[in-house]
Amino acid sequence: MLAAAWQVGSVAVTLFGLLAITFFMGRLLPIDPVISIVGEQADKATYDMVYHRLGLDKPLAMQFLLFVGDMLSGEFGDALFTGNKVAVDLGRVFPATIELATFAIIIGVGVGVPLGVLAAVYRGSLLDHVARFVGLLGYSSPTFWLGLMGLIVFYATLRWVGGPGRLDVAFIDSIEPRTGLILLDAALEGEWEVFANAFGHIVLPGSILGYASLAYISRMTRSFMLEQLGQDYIIAARAKGMSRWRVVRRHAFRNIRVQLLTVIALAYAFLLEGAVLTETVFAWPGFGRYLTSGLLAGDMNAVLACVLIIGIIFVSLNLIADALYRLLDPRTR
Amino acid sequence: MRGIVAAAVGTMALMGGAVQAATPRDALVMAWNLDALITFDPAQIAEVNGNDIIRNVCEPMVNYDLKDTSKIVPGTVAKWAVSEDGLTLTMTLRDDLKFPSGKKATAQDAEWSLHRAVMLGFGNAANITEWGFNKDNIATTIKATDEHTLAFKLDRPYPVGLLLSAMFASGSTGILDREEGTKNAKVTEGKSDYGNAFFKTAPVCVGPYRVTRWNTNDVVILERNDNYYGEKAKLRRVIIRHVPESGAQRLLLEQGDIDVARLLGTDDLKALAANVAATVAIEQTVMHGYSYLAFNGLDPILGNPKVREAFRYLIDYDGLAKTILEYQGAPRASLVPRGAFGALDAADGQPFKLDLERAKALLTEAGFPNGFAKKFILSANSFSPAVAQHVQSNAAKIGVTLQLEQMADAQLFTRARSREFEVLLIGWGAGYPDAHSMISRHAVNPDNRVEAKLAQYPSWRSSWIDAKVNEMADAAKMERDPAKRITAYHEIQRYMMKSGPMAYIVQTIRPIALRKEVKDFAITPFDVAYRTATK
Repeated sequence: MLAAAWQVGSVAVTLFGLLAITFFMGRLLPIDPVISIVGEQADKATYDMVYHRLGLDKPLAMQFLLFVGDMLSGEFGDALFTGNKVAVDLGRVFPATIELATFAIIIGVGVGVPLGVLAAVYRGSLLDHVARFVGLLGYSSPTFWLGLMGLIVFYATLRWVGGPGRLDVAFIDSIEPRTGLILLDAALEGEWEVFANAFGHIVLPGSILGYASLAYISRMTRSFMLEQLGQDYIIAARAKGMSRWRVVRRHAFRNIRVQLLTVIALAYAFLLEGAVLTETVFAWPGFGRYLTSGLLAGDMNAVLACVLIIGIIFVSLNLIADALYRLLDPRTR
Repeated sequence: MRGIVAAAVGTMALMGGAVQAATPRDALVMAWNLDALITFDPAQIAEVNGNDIIRNVCEPMVNYDLKDTSKIVPGTVAKWAVSEDGLTLTMTLRDDLKFPSGKKATAQDAEWSLHRAVMLGFGNAANITEWGFNKDNIATTIKATDEHTLAFKLDRPYPVGLLLSAMFASGSTGILDREEGTKNAKVTEGKSDYGNAFFKTAPVCVGPYRVTRWNTNDVVILERNDNYYGEKAKLRRVIIRHVPESGAQRLLLEQGDIDVARLLGTDDLKALAANVAATVAIEQTVMHGYSYLAFNGLDPILGNPKVREAFRYLIDYDGLAKTILEYQGAPRASLVPRGAFGALDAADGQPFKLDLERAKALLTEAGFPNGFAKKFILSANSFSPAVAQHVQSNAAKIGVTLQLEQMADAQLFTRARSREFEVLLIGWGAGYPDAHSMISRHAVNPDNRVEAKLAQYPSWRSSWIDAKVNEMADAAKMERDPAKRITAYHEIQRYMMKSGPMAYIVQTIRPIALRKEVKDFAITPFDVAYRTATK
């Protein structure tokens, strides 16, 4: 009980610290949020009116308190550069990113982990080299470039996938958003045509992001596996006559699950932060672009809310990973 | 393994079936960057996208002729008359105006719409307040005298052509539904928002289309207003998608997934133009906006008019227009854009060319034969860095060192507005096609004191004031004889090219690429008419 209270307390302090630092750093930014509302040609009276309305004339500490109040109310204040409540905006952009990130992590884990295991088991073989090459490429190719190339090949030339955007124009507005995840919403309503169309649109950006995390996950899996495969207990198991794959599955892989989980949680968290460039190329109205546009407009309400969300994502994925450790590793219980 | 690959390819091919090309027959699909769009309230809109869309949703009282922007044609107002003394303007509204609901729109709605624009006091209230109307007098100076008539009491006898162009053709004169606005008004600290929050997403207006959906930074959908009095829009829907990347817009356009691409970079335009099997046309509109250098007059060196004149000879105007600024800008050094009432013609309005010797001679005359060093700030976006480097390299040849600093637009505007710059590369768009629009902000400076904070005047930002120009501009503004007004504006332009605080580089071009099957999509500098388009 005490441990749980301690944990909650430490999370709260972490998030508060994050907010305070971002808030005061944000105030040092040389960008004036008023301009993005009133326009560059506005006169002083208009400017002052909005400056006052935004509470920018109040003392800094007061502004911070008001801001924390907005955060606690769950509305996060007004996003200046969209004119909506930040909570409303996030309710729209975040599902788009969750959908994309989840698609990507499924690919990252589904392909990356087996690839890493194979590369470790067949260390030094052609397969290992291919896996390394694939990984290196995934690490080093800019997603922006990959995105455009992907669009040219699979969308413009082969027409296998949909173009930028989450749906074809004909399908925009065709389903009522319930979760905001179009694939899920379409499935819930049994609109399979919409589902297929949405799938055609997510498959390319999802795969490209998935590829980047695949590269990371497979390299990490490989090195974790190699470490285990070099251990004495593996040799002992083999000596007892256990088959190679049984050893890999029952012994080596089991022992890397905890480490792997951390890696996957981290990869997922990075994906959930949003991928500005991928979102830009694919006209994906997601979290990364929202945060960046907010930052460029000097819109601290939006930026701070996003930073808070990212903080929460990292903290909660950490907590989930911690809980899973306990399930997977009896020593941590 | 082979099986897996085959299965994957098979799945992709299957999906391919679900991916359909071509846009719906009865819809116009545009791609644009909608980042800056924050409202559809005509009293608040202060950016390009919103202004473009709103003119198809809230019709102004009068319109610029789609064939010749310098001409004014009736809009919701059928006719107008000025009293003998020029101090009373009477506007008669059409009697068949209706809101999309079918409800009749009256002069009372129009009166309320104008009043609220002034009372709300957003930046574009200046379209109205510039002509003597303000929060204190508006109740008596703009009045509906019956259901179809609006009477305007003017403080001075302005030329009616100027008033129509500057005030009545502006987006601020759209007629909103007073009843809806009043019913849905929010009151905070005893002040009404006149339905500002309500109209933000769905303005209830007299116009050919209405806004039916707006997902911020994603999509805007307009539906035809079947109760519009005039010729009904040909296409039932207009779908505007937020596609921030130029390359992605180009692909969508080539594939026929959009009909119109609104924001293409020079490289993508060149590629489109080179496409032999051209299914796409590119329309270039010379806008009434500029990309220009501004100099801070508080600086002892840049305050010297000869130094500023030297800068005008450091720019290879034609070279830029053919390279970096292809599809982006047309050379123009006079502050009144071509196409505006009172503008100098092409040759007189662009007498400069790259001439390093002349620039050097001017610097020597000014007392700086060995040059000087200055900081030069600019936007990191679009063509700005390339243009700045061009100026920098030419300046270096005559001993002037320019240290470039790139920044986000929002930061650049803040620096410009607070006079925190030495040399600055920035843009400006005129509000209406009359010389007065630019001259009243770039040449006139009512009060140069720091504490006046007239940041809406680029002249003030450059700390430049000239009593003679102020007088000339006021006389021209009040001149009711059009021919004399034109002459007066020509004189001001010539004077400014010699001693003004700016070096104008190009008049901006707005390239729009569209599928060839789209017809009658009328593009003018101040009004892009989706309402006339067919396909």
